[in-house]
Amino acid sequence: MEESLSRINEVIRQATFQARGSSLKQRKKRDPTRPSARWTASARVGREQGTALAIVLSTIGCAHARSDSGGCTMCSYLLDGVQEMPTSDQIVAQFKFAMKELEMKRAPLSVKIYTSGSFLDNEEIPMEARSEILRLIAEDERIREVILESRPEYVSNSILSSIRELLGDRTIEIGMGLESVSDTVRTICINKNFDLLMFKDALKTAKNYNIGMRAYVLLKPPLLTERDALLDAIATIQEARRLGVTTISLNPVNVQKDTLVEKLWTRGNYRPPWLWSVVEVLREASSISDGWMKIVCDPVAGGKRRGAHNCGKCDTNIVEAIRQFSLSQNPTVLEHLTCDCISQWEHTLNHEDFSLVVHR
Amino acid sequence: MAEFRIGRGHDGPARVGEYILGSTTFATPLLTSSFTSSDSIIAYGAIGRDEPLSEKPMLVSLPFVSQLDEISLPKIRDNDSVILPSLISLATISPDASELVFAYQQEVLSRITPSIDPSRTIIRIPSVAKPESIVKLTEFGSHGAAFSFDGQLGPRDFGAINLRSHLPLFMMTLAVGRIEPGLIPLLHYTGFDIIDIGYSQDAAANGVRLWKNGAEKIELGTGYRFCSCPACAKLDTAKQEDLLNILLEHNLNIYKTIISESKEAMRSGRLRWLVESTTHNSPAHASLVRLVNRELYPFIEEFSPTTGPDALPVIGSESYNAPVVRRFRDYVASRYSAPDNKPIILLLPCSARKPYSDSKSHKRFNAVIESALSGMESRVAQVILTSPLGLVPRELERIYPAGQYDIPVTGDWDTEEIAIGANALVNHLKKFSNSSVVIAHVSGGYLDIVRAAESKIEQSLIYTTPEGRATSRESLDALEESLLDLKEILSISGGPRTELEGIVSATADYQFGKGAGKVLVPEHAKLKGKPYRLILCTVDGEQVCSYVAESGTLSLTLVGGRLLAPLKRYWVRLEAQNVKGGSIFAVGVQEADYMIRPGDEVIVINGSDDVIAVGRSEMSGREMCELKRGRAVTIRHKKE
Repeated sequence: MEESLSRINEVIRQATFQARGSSLKQRKKRDPTRPSARWTASARVGREQGTALAIVLSTIGCAHARSDSGGCTMCSYLLDGVQEMPTSDQIVAQFKFAMKELEMKRAPLSVKIYTSGSFLDNEEIPMEARSEILRLIAEDERIREVILESRPEYVSNSILSSIRELLGDRTIEIGMGLESVSDTVRTICINKNFDLLMFKDALKTAKNYNIGMRAYVLLKPPLLTERDALLDAIATIQEARRLGVTTISLNPVNVQKDTLVEKLWTRGNYRPPWLWSVVEVLREASSISDGWMKIVCDPVAGGKRRGAHNCGKCDTNIVEAIRQFSLSQNPTVLEHLTCDCISQWEHTLNHEDFSLVVHR
Repeated sequence: MAEFRIGRGHDGPARVGEYILGSTTFATPLLTSSFTSSDSIIAYGAIGRDEPLSEKPMLVSLPFVSQLDEISLPKIRDNDSVILPSLISLATISPDASELVFAYQQEVLSRITPSIDPSRTIIRIPSVAKPESIVKLTEFGSHGAAFSFDGQLGPRDFGAINLRSHLPLFMMTLAVGRIEPGLIPLLHYTGFDIIDIGYSQDAAANGVRLWKNGAEKIELGTGYRFCSCPACAKLDTAKQEDLLNILLEHNLNIYKTIISESKEAMRSGRLRWLVESTTHNSPAHASLVRLVNRELYPFIEEFSPTTGPDALPVIGSESYNAPVVRRFRDYVASRYSAPDNKPIILLLPCSARKPYSDSKSHKRFNAVIESALSGMESRVAQVILTSPLGLVPRELERIYPAGQYDIPVTGDWDTEEIAIGANALVNHLKKFSNSSVVIAHVSGGYLDIVRAAESKIEQSLIYTTPEGRATSRESLDALEESLLDLKEILSISGGPRTELEGIVSATADYQFGKGAGKVLVPEHAKLKGKPYRLILCTVDGEQVCSYVAESGTLSLTLVGGRLLAPLKRYWVRLEAQNVKGGSIFAVGVQEADYMIRPGDEVIVINGSDDVIAVGRSEMSGREMCELKRGRAVTIRHKKE
């Protein structure tokens, strides 16, 4: 990397760390036997319509975010976690609690396990807990799809082979925050602390066990203009397709508490992406994928000030179209969306690029 | 090739110039946009992302890209200027981050240098950068600098203008961002050469019609303001889908109108007035103008000419510290010396008509003085109280701006004006002997000034207008009586008439600094002429200078220049031994006195300190040193 970029990275790292401040130590006390969150939604499971359960396990949170590296510039998901490391039994109890949601549901089911960190990190999820959770899933024949989240550094042959063994022929995907194809954007704008090579290695390892890769693509990290962000997301999806990623999950940045993004946003130095940009990326993604990858997007805080938003008048319709597209994978639901504010967005693409003044 | 040439003329830091890209020359100040281009609007766009609007050269910005090799240099056309890339908001992340913005640009520059000459580039300056870092920017070799405005008119926008004031003078200055039409005169005034009008599109997209001093949301079918522009003629019959283009065209017209107004104002020396008149656009705008006035006074003053239009409007509180106004007060305070032998100091009110002597009221005052003191009028030091100049010694009543300023004359003065006046008066009277007697022949606001100063006045003070106006019969009688009394008491007897000496000497001090009057008008100087036309001053049989009533200033002869040279003020040193032709260009100037302002009378010397010419400056002393082009001095007399 260029020398000046390394210096910028260092400044960003410090600023991210500072923005996080003491928020980690002031996390709410939570019942260690209950997950941070869980919810079910209709979802596409394989080629059928089914139900997906999403679980956010309450853990000590992402190792990167807990470290001096400060974590990512936009993420404070780990604030949903707990201060003290839960025991294996407690973590399994969290999982069981969440699974109650599926009691009355019919196959096919999909289970997504989030941790606000890495499910494959032994420090965060003890091996015994992980094996027990996977064993419980294996017992349930309705579950056809399992999605686990992890940073690439925890992906290894031994872990993946045991996961494959436990889950049998189920569809497995590892959700991983590729965020951007560009090492510079991932490093400077996101402070992600891994490079494309690590992602590629993890992807290759996963392939060996017929485990798919669900790549999280970030739309509009800080320090990029709307158009930089749009083009970066599209370039990332193109590369993801080349690499053989199985699912693209597009994540428009939302302003989370105690992050560098929030600090910038509060002072008018950041605006979450326009929903038009989200739509544009999804359209492109759909055409790039050509049916090879699943493209999903559920804009957190969509239509709200802290999330991807447009003018306020059209937001609900557009967020709904985005949800429809994620469910149906049919790009025609993204066509014919319109609103007066589209010309404002077009202006922003062009003028923010030239002026480098944040357009709110 | 990208070249910026600064043209002739000044009104504050405002300037005109030529922006030359290949065979295309744009006259500055210039607008820039991404959606339209013309002779007066240069196009811009991001390389690899926007297509050029026309064959004409444009400003291309390099986007931030992850690999510098990704920059699509081949797409940059030979004559386009190149704006270096940065990361949006990076500078706001930490106090040192601005330095990184520069470091990154420098690194990009070094990478692209093989194909793009640094002189073609424009460097981005974050509004939160430190002024010290601006000086180092010359290392880049860029021909211009881009400053960004968020349109809030707050600390960041002030920051951009402040940083601009630290920029090397030769650099082209670009203002980008959210710039409302009402800000254009101020940006022009503070020396921006190219101004981004992208906001016209932003506003149009929001259904907003911009005006010179505000904005109006347009909803078709409801009422809206009348506008005479061709775009708005279409509004009545417009459909919703036409609205954007109509508003854009209107907004564009507003920008064109206001830049044209601003340029004309500069030509006629009224740009400062135009800027002051924008104060009422909004409280935020007023704050910005005031902040610029207060914080950037040295920058603005340095480029404000010492001559100006025949009538200088001085209207609101923004004018109290306008550069020519404050400079006048400063010069009178620091350069004017009290003439000897003035036992009476007469304070008079100003008049609407300039010079004061031409006014009815002052003619009456003079008649009274003549009648009371026939032959001894020169023993009275006349001081005219006025706002916001403070006071004007009679000898200086014709010099700019005393002879030209035009104020509302209702006589209602605010506390700041009274404080300015009182301060000037106290300072002025300290220069006179304590045994002199001050006659305050003033009433109303002028009287308030004297009263405010009274406790700090050492001389005896007589009020001659206890009630009523200064021009009333009673007041004039009282004045005459007081003068007659004082003539008795102070036993004022005859003496030489010293009016001409007084004028030339005081003007010399004002123009060239303290002591210049004694040099140009020694005891044995011979003066002849009329104060209202021309006064010639001769020393030892050689003319040294002439006082020209029209401008109230002195023109030097070579002999006069030689007499003044030892004072080491207002000098311009040439690299050449002698002057050729009628002008001196900045390129030929080796050094110059930084005290020189555009319009000053200057003394031209060579490397051996010989006075080789005298003339009138066309730029400030620092510009003569820093600029490589442009006319520095118009020669009046030179050594043959």
